[in-house]
Amino acid sequence: MSRKEQPLADRLAALREAVEVAEDRLDVPEAGRARALLAKAGARAALGDATVVALAGATGSGKSTLFNALSGGEVSTPGVRRPTTGVAHATVWGADDGADRLLDWLEVPRRHRHEPEPALDGLVLLDLPDHDSVRLEHRLEVDRLVGLVDVLVWVLDPEKYADAAVHDRYLAPLAGHAGVLLVVLNKIDRLDAASARACMADLRGLLDREGLAATPVLALSGRSGTGVAEFRGELARRVAARRAATDRLTADVRAAATALSVHCPEGNASLRAAGGTDGADDVVDALAAAAGVPAVTAAVERSTVRAGAARTGWPLVRWIRKLRPDPLARLHLGDERARTSLAPAGPVELAGVTTALRRARDDAGEGLPQVWRDDLRRTVADAEDRLADRLDQAVAGVDLGPDRVPLWQRAAGGLQWLLALVALAGALWLLALVGLGLLQLDDVLPLPRVEGIPLPSLLLGAGLLGGLLLALVARPLVRIRARRRRRAADRRLRAAVAAVAEEEVFAPMAEVGADAARFCAAVAIARR
Amino acid sequence: VTAAPPRLPDALTALRDRLAAAPFGLATAGRDDAARAARAVADQIDDYLLPRLLDLDAPLLTVVGGSTGAGKSTLVNSLVGAPVTTSGVLRPTTRAPVLVCARTDLSAFSGDRVLPGLARVTGSGGGPGTLQLVARDDVPPGLALLDAPDVDSVVETNRELAGQLLAAADLWVFVTTAARYADAVPWDLLRTAQERGTALAVVLDRVPPEAATEVAADLAGMLRDAGLSAARLFVIEELPLADGRLPDEQVAPLRTWLHGLAADQEARATVVRQTLTGALGSLERRAAGIAVALEEQMAAAESLRGAAAAAYTAAYEGIDEGVRSGTLLRGEVLARWQDFVGTGEWMRALQGQVGRLRDRLASAVTGRPSAVEGLQGALENSVERLLRAEAERAAERTVTAWRSLPGGADLLAGAQRELEQVSPDFPEAAAAQVRDWQGTVLDLVRSEGADKRSRARIMSWGINGAGAVVMVAVFAQTGGLLGGEIAVAGGTAAVGQRVLEAVFGDAAVRALAARAREDLQERVDGLLRYEQERFDGLVRGAAPSPEAADELRAAVRDLDAARRAGA
Repeated sequence: MSRKEQPLADRLAALREAVEVAEDRLDVPEAGRARALLAKAGARAALGDATVVALAGATGSGKSTLFNALSGGEVSTPGVRRPTTGVAHATVWGADDGADRLLDWLEVPRRHRHEPEPALDGLVLLDLPDHDSVRLEHRLEVDRLVGLVDVLVWVLDPEKYADAAVHDRYLAPLAGHAGVLLVVLNKIDRLDAASARACMADLRGLLDREGLAATPVLALSGRSGTGVAEFRGELARRVAARRAATDRLTADVRAAATALSVHCPEGNASLRAAGGTDGADDVVDALAAAAGVPAVTAAVERSTVRAGAARTGWPLVRWIRKLRPDPLARLHLGDERARTSLAPAGPVELAGVTTALRRARDDAGEGLPQVWRDDLRRTVADAEDRLADRLDQAVAGVDLGPDRVPLWQRAAGGLQWLLALVALAGALWLLALVGLGLLQLDDVLPLPRVEGIPLPSLLLGAGLLGGLLLALVARPLVRIRARRRRRAADRRLRAAVAAVAEEEVFAPMAEVGADAARFCAAVAIARR
Repeated sequence: VTAAPPRLPDALTALRDRLAAAPFGLATAGRDDAARAARAVADQIDDYLLPRLLDLDAPLLTVVGGSTGAGKSTLVNSLVGAPVTTSGVLRPTTRAPVLVCARTDLSAFSGDRVLPGLARVTGSGGGPGTLQLVARDDVPPGLALLDAPDVDSVVETNRELAGQLLAAADLWVFVTTAARYADAVPWDLLRTAQERGTALAVVLDRVPPEAATEVAADLAGMLRDAGLSAARLFVIEELPLADGRLPDEQVAPLRTWLHGLAADQEARATVVRQTLTGALGSLERRAAGIAVALEEQMAAAESLRGAAAAAYTAAYEGIDEGVRSGTLLRGEVLARWQDFVGTGEWMRALQGQVGRLRDRLASAVTGRPSAVEGLQGALENSVERLLRAEAERAAERTVTAWRSLPGGADLLAGAQRELEQVSPDFPEAAAAQVRDWQGTVLDLVRSEGADKRSRARIMSWGINGAGAVVMVAVFAQTGGLLGGEIAVAGGTAAVGQRVLEAVFGDAAVRALAARAREDLQERVDGLLRYEQERFDGLVRGAAPSPEAADELRAAVRDLDAARRAGA
């Protein structure tokens, strides 16, 4: 082998990782089969490195005859009646106790112990029932053991070598196991040399077409003994290598990984990470609309205008404004634990959210195989269910920005009071003058004049006019401040919504992508 | 032998046509079996029943069939006494069937009377899809031997052809061997023969001489257990071939029996009738199985259609819910009303002027123009958005449901990505429908309110006039900076609705809204139906027509009646 083989342990670890990801994420039968294989691999590894070889074949192909020829005695009874062998028989070479445990695991009760023979020590030879007779239970037993043994020897004969029952059901599906298969053409003594050659060539071609080019084919006769020595040699070689079990498991792991690899992109197409696309902005926009962000920002603006106007307005009428409720306070924001009084999202907003999420999901799923896109859909659907509540919490918990009363507003408010006092002073003075006039005392006190205007009238007029002017001048400034607060609130709210989107939507989607990448990397290692 | 009743061939032809027309487009559990059975029945009617009914005296077609490597070709060569068909050690040996008959009978087989689907070839063997004809003088008239391909090799076309040939046989000579006689595949065929009442002879070939008695007894027992004790059993021992042929004394009993049948017209007629009656009798049961499969197809189609319908009904309800629960509908009716009465125009113009003045003041201070939202555009957008989201959801839901339904995944194959979305022209169609709907609402308001227009206008003028006075007052008082006039305008709009209700009466307004909703429902229904049709069309293309199963059963009943009339 030119390249260093991946050790079986690494393959198994990779397959285990892939199976674990798949069991969490995907609903695929291949994962279950791979899990069963992992269990089998664990059990088989604990049972030592004996080589379990099974003779499988059709009824009447001479499995038992060949089995007896190898076992050196009539262990399995061949017969002329069909079908013959109903249960598996085993012959064990060597005195290793491990073989018994192995056979217990294989559930093969009929055992024969062959006297030690150095070349074959460590061989456990099984004679399987036929797979093609009218007895269904035979076939089930064959199917069970075919999955467990280390080396499969298919015993064919010139009459039956092209049967669909063996090729379609067993050989073609085992194409990945070419290395652990061995095909023998039994009863070769029934053909003359030319026919035997033609027959072997035809069988070879048949196997090549099924992808079993690497499987050796031997011609032999269990009855006459032709070719049995070569077959024994081939078995001895495999037993001596002590790696039949590993090879079998490797082939199994590769087959399982290949089955799983249909859920990976073709070739080495990279898996794109989700998030950070135009889709993400759309999602945040849609979520912000559904979370009532526009309503909150509008309330912030109105509330700021209201407070500012109250502070800088004319003191004598500003109390009227207090009669109207604060639009922001009505929303009951500021407490994450309590539900806000924001109206729930309407159907149009929800439709917007659905569409945006769908688009983001399709973007993220681009290039992923179907099962992963299904998982993305499940993930996003789950997220969508949680979003309404999470968004409400997030909006409730947002600090809408500092609400310090600006100095100029305080100053304007103070000035308003001052002006009001001035006007009041002027009014009182004028009242006093009226009172003195009634008492004909208006000339007692001199009336100070500024530029010819009596001072109290000036005070009253300037106080009133000044207040009105100040209120007028302050309005646009209040509105500017309100807009600024609105923008600040909008930024903070959107940031909160974006955080929710990241946590509830994009992070789970990215996790799906990451798991898909992890899965595919593990599968690639397992099948390499 | 009397002529067949005239109606029986017609009934058979009708049944054949029904079966040929039965589509099995949905991948249900029993689909492949049923399609194969339907083809088999149709083939048997064409290949065997019709020709046999039309000519009961035609030569006896004896099909030599069995497992690969059982020695069928060798047996035929030995029976004829000449190498008419290739035998050999490579499996499968025979790929194109060979028919051997007397020269006088050649005309009975050279035409399209039996096995019309196979091209006739003479001389050396043809390729697949052909039937090689060999005329031999040593075959007695009235007997035709057909060397069929195997029933169980890796070559699938062989297996199918063998099935077709066996169905066309008057007599089966079923060849098996000492190594094979308990194989599952041939026994399935023998059971079929038993069920159809086909005349049958079993040849146990390649028997080691020392085991002949034991194996023959075992097979005879198995035949008896399978209800085939009537079948003749011939045992041929495995002895060296002479010139590629079996020793004559081994095939003599079989040859004698066959020649005897050919010579004895009475015996031959018995065999023909047995197989014919059996085949006719089996049709009812086989057709019933196909009818069940057709019903399964229809049920699958129904559940596929049902899944699509459920998804789109949900979408329809979702849209309706969205339109009804929101202010979409009333807003739309009111906007149309104001358009119609015309005072809305005036109000809007005033509002616009005041707004412009305010904007100018505001932008003079802030340096930024204020945004004006178009109610109209927003509304259109909302309904469209709702439509689109629901239609997409329905498409996706349908695709998801289909993937887990029998036959659904196959129908989606390849087109899943497109089907998950709305159809490409949906957004445009939805926009057009929403525009049309708005036009309809205007028409509705116009026709309802034609005679109430002037009263409404005066009332609206009153309201709007008062509103305008207040607006101007507020504007003047605040310098247009507080936006109070907008609240007044809003209030006026709210009063506008009151006016609307006052003029028409509350019930009439509600009726207007309801009719606007009905109209929208109709349009939504049309749009969604078009979307749903993409799925329904797929099902229609693949599923049998709803009457298919009943028609098939009717054809079987007709056949039954025809048989009884003929009997």
